[in-house]
Amino acid sequence: MAKSMEDLYQERMERYKKANRMEKPDKVPFRPFAAELAGKVAGYTAQQVTHDPDLGLDAVIKMCERVPGIDAAVVNMVYVNTSVTESYGLKYYRVPGIQLDADDSFQYMEPQNDEEAFMKVEDYERFIEDPNEFVMNVWLPRTSNYMVPPGEENTWKNNLAWMKNGIAIQQYFQKLGANVGRMRTDTGTVSAIAGALKAPFDILADKFRGFRGIAYDIRRCPEKVLKATEAIAPHMAWNCIATADPSRNVPCSHWMHRGATGFFSEEVFQKFYWPTLKQVTEQIWGAGIQTIYYAEGKWARNLKTFRELPDKSIIFHCDKDDIYEVKRVLGDKFPISGGVPNDMLAFGEPADVKKRVKQLIQDFGPDGGYILDAEAIMQQDVKVENFIAMGEACEEYGYI
Amino acid sequence: MNTKKITELLVELEEDKVYDAVDEAIAAGVSGREILKASQAAMATIGEMYKREEAFVADMMFAGEIMRNILTRIQPLLEKEGGKGATLGKAIIGTVKGDIHDLGKDVVMIALEGNGFEVIDLGVDVPPEKFVEALKNNPDAKVVGLSVFLTSAFPSTEKTVKAIADSGKRGQVKIMVGGAPVTEVVARETGCDYFAEDAAAGVSFTRSVYGV
Repeated sequence: MAKSMEDLYQERMERYKKANRMEKPDKVPFRPFAAELAGKVAGYTAQQVTHDPDLGLDAVIKMCERVPGIDAAVVNMVYVNTSVTESYGLKYYRVPGIQLDADDSFQYMEPQNDEEAFMKVEDYERFIEDPNEFVMNVWLPRTSNYMVPPGEENTWKNNLAWMKNGIAIQQYFQKLGANVGRMRTDTGTVSAIAGALKAPFDILADKFRGFRGIAYDIRRCPEKVLKATEAIAPHMAWNCIATADPSRNVPCSHWMHRGATGFFSEEVFQKFYWPTLKQVTEQIWGAGIQTIYYAEGKWARNLKTFRELPDKSIIFHCDKDDIYEVKRVLGDKFPISGGVPNDMLAFGEPADVKKRVKQLIQDFGPDGGYILDAEAIMQQDVKVENFIAMGEACEEYGYI
Repeated sequence: MNTKKITELLVELEEDKVYDAVDEAIAAGVSGREILKASQAAMATIGEMYKREEAFVADMMFAGEIMRNILTRIQPLLEKEGGKGATLGKAIIGTVKGDIHDLGKDVVMIALEGNGFEVIDLGVDVPPEKFVEALKNNPDAKVVGLSVFLTSAFPSTEKTVKAIADSGKRGQVKIMVGGAPVTEVVARETGCDYFAEDAAAGVSFTRSVYGV
């Protein structure tokens, strides 16, 4: 008798949980981080999945149906949806169909100077005093085309922006939740992550000061930078825990950015990046939640530092680092994911991909604690046949 | 007055002190070009440090910021002296169409300028035809640098190289490509001549093209 979708879901959940917890599952789980690629599989443009939440979510369902062997997937990895961002005129994204071509990916617009930054250098004290107050009263109006700061003359556009955005967020997250259910009932697939974290230094650099701003600030006003990361840390932890999986089955995700090798020195990493990230990760782990460290770029320099974290508290996702080195340094403490190069997925052939997957499974599968994925989040450059080959190879060789 | 102090202070990213040193040099009658040369020597050193992982992207950006402020200070002198003087060569750089990331491109620009090259910066989300147009307007440029941050911009990289080839300008230039997801495979498959792993590699390649 064929397995029911619920049986399949339970089997995949068990497999995913075991791998995430350093145990040996029956099969290496395939957890593709697929963004615009899901739309490509479903036949939707980047513009469609970015603007229409139903299509964005439907693309993931179609991907789970069409690509074999997916155990867990992200309910929507094209995380900018204009139903939300355009409702209040969010300034800092460039999206397909508005500023970019239909098949380009949405992107963040980096401030060029202090004038363009959404937090000015003179705002540090106010931010440190109360980050929430700063976000609501200063940052939000600056990032919106319509919202006005308190004390300024009110406008209809401001009123409408608050109302429309409230409705849009409610609708969008209701759809997200429903789609998690649909993934389970229609495809037997686990929703791979719940709850999101960013390192306090990253959030300060990315969304408040910009890279240039933070690069200058660590020279010109280092103590303020440090205090700002400390002020924001509890909020990052709370935000993540509050939106995590209540059943504690799946991990939260942490998109790591400016701590990567090359952006800043080791001294800067140790002083500004690591202390609050460590604190927040431990707090989240204390609440029973694992964190996926999606280590964008290269992090070889800091692998040993991550060993300071409690065993199994993170799942290390390897992007540009040598995954064999990552396994050697971290493999006894933390599970790892990744391993299939994106240039192979974009330019190689299915046979290349299958060979790579087989090798990864042979080398990492027997120990447990390995989750199959590409190196970086997969976008529309990936050939669909190569993506399918990943899943097929995992089905073929993954039972260990 | 010895401009060595300007070089040393800029290498150490001692912002306020280097401005004081520049002001002192100006007051002492040192030429704008001499101050520029001293500053460029520092930028070249920082580029070397970057190659050895003793300086980082943030340091390059901050050095670039200081350099801009020095240029503002010496601009009136340079105007009187007829400009910055000869450069080692010219490179055209931009982030390919469909990609608006600019940090990598800017770091390469800072490194090239710091090493004495003139850079034509086409910005971000640059359509292939804009690269072709820039080549037509700058027939002396021997290097094109393509910056790519998104894997989804690989096809656009290929289109850019093809457009340059179709325009008949391919023989005029060497094309280097760099950015977080770029590898030797990406460079080869998109038809580029060189994979610049980092800004320092981009400078070395440009130097080799110009034989300097």
